[in-house]
Amino acid sequence: MNLTAIASIYRFEMTRFFRTLLQSFLSPVLSTSLYFVVFGAAIGSRIDQVEGVSYGAFIVPGLVMLSVMTQALSNASFGIYFPKFIGTIYELLTAPVSFLEIVIGYVGAAATKALFIGTVILITSTFFVDLTIAHPFAMVLFLLLTCLSFALFGFIIGIWAKNFEQLQLVPLLIVTPLVFLGGSFYSISMLPPFWQTVTHFNPVLYLISGFRWSFFGVADVPIGISLAAIALFTALCLGVIWWIFKTGWRLRG
Amino acid sequence: MTGILSIRDLRKTYDDGFEALKGVSLDLEKGEILALLGPNGAGKTTLISAVCGLINPTGGSVSVGGHDIDTDFRAARSMIGLVPQEVALEPFETVWNTVRFSRGLFGKPRNDALIQKILTQLSLWDKKDNQVKELSGGMKRRVLIAKALAHEPRVLFLDEPTAGVDVALRKGMWDVVAEMKADGVTIILTTHYIEEAEAIADRIGVIAKGELLLVEEKATLMTRMGRKQLEVQLDQPLKAIPEALSDYELELAEDGRTLIYSYDTRAERTGITALLNDIAGAGLKLRDVQTRQSSLEDIFVSLVEGEDA
Repeated sequence: MNLTAIASIYRFEMTRFFRTLLQSFLSPVLSTSLYFVVFGAAIGSRIDQVEGVSYGAFIVPGLVMLSVMTQALSNASFGIYFPKFIGTIYELLTAPVSFLEIVIGYVGAAATKALFIGTVILITSTFFVDLTIAHPFAMVLFLLLTCLSFALFGFIIGIWAKNFEQLQLVPLLIVTPLVFLGGSFYSISMLPPFWQTVTHFNPVLYLISGFRWSFFGVADVPIGISLAAIALFTALCLGVIWWIFKTGWRLRG
Repeated sequence: MTGILSIRDLRKTYDDGFEALKGVSLDLEKGEILALLGPNGAGKTTLISAVCGLINPTGGSVSVGGHDIDTDFRAARSMIGLVPQEVALEPFETVWNTVRFSRGLFGKPRNDALIQKILTQLSLWDKKDNQVKELSGGMKRRVLIAKALAHEPRVLFLDEPTAGVDVALRKGMWDVVAEMKADGVTIILTTHYIEEAEAIADRIGVIAKGELLLVEEKATLMTRMGRKQLEVQLDQPLKAIPEALSDYELELAEDGRTLIYSYDTRAERTGITALLNDIAGAGLKLRDVQTRQSSLEDIFVSLVEGEDA
């Protein structure tokens, strides 16, 4: 294992993050505050409680997940797409590094950035609502797994994308709707039976439900199924990345 | 001399059926400089890309220092450095960080003294804290070289390193190449500048349409392929070459004042004495006589044209 190479990729990627630290930090704080003002104060005042939890607190896990998923995805996809776009990918392909080392470096950095932003949002939310975390270890586990799996997914998108439009396409047209319709801001028990069934086909539901369970002990789907779903998603992404590097798809001519 | 790079029957056929490499074989010794010449689309970059791991070859094998680039890719690649044709650099990163990154990526431990030495050698030390986007085109090319040297490669591929670089800087790069050669680094250089190959290469390889037409010592090639020309300037212009001189296959320059005679320096008899006697016998008065050696460029053009014919 070329640990020096992994550390180099990780450090190089994190430098990009630190260059725009203010933007990386301010943006989630501002958007979280806006969500609390709009959803928490304006709408939340008309909704009493959801499954025994105040609406303001109920949306915290969804908010964290929304940002973590989109940030992990966009950071990882941009992280590997940018070298492809400017041509510096040649260096990765000619270096004595395996696919696993490249993935650990890029995905690790993207997951770290997403984790940082998720933590900032969680801390920001405590200024707006009283928050207790019923299962802190499970919460950290879900957070880490989500950062990791969506960073892996983002890495695939970054390799697949041939231009900036495609890079934005999947997050915009698929991930964001899935996150919003996966119960980020509501319990699926509030939906009519037909839409409840449809929502069960949304993979994001399982992540948000598990994450929310770690906060409040209530979930839309059993916790075991949530864990299995995220493990399956991670394994699927790893499998696709392994295939990409084995065949050189969109990397080697 | 010991072999360091061995390429055997290397082939690359793209999905659209285009054969970019048609079974190229090549051996390189430690510390030698090979200049690879060839027209655009000849397969120069494809050859380099296949050896360095940028494309998957369709067939053949490559070993570097005895390590197969496929089965023992870590050992093989750690010996190779590549300076690509296109200037590809992270624009917002500093020169120092981007060169340090390259060393780390190849698994080498941090060595600030070495990076300082490389940057100084390439006249980049005072720019080490500048972002890459602030540098001139020539400086960016040197950063690419610094990145390739950062992990101390034993085989260095320079894919048109001096394209678009001014004459002074080009000569400076040749000096760097000479220093690397002195350190025992093997260099494969592709170039369109034949004077570059002529100035720094030990051997010349000519590639066209995916085939290596020849690989030869520069001096041998010049002697073997090099024709010498004798230019005889006349006192009075001629309208046509006199009948008495028809056996010599002379050319008459446009101004009618110069007769050009091509001859082989290795031939037992060059025919110069007889020609000069016959010119005098034809009643022509000489103004000046000079000889000219074919340049590598002439040789290259004749080789590639021969291939096209």
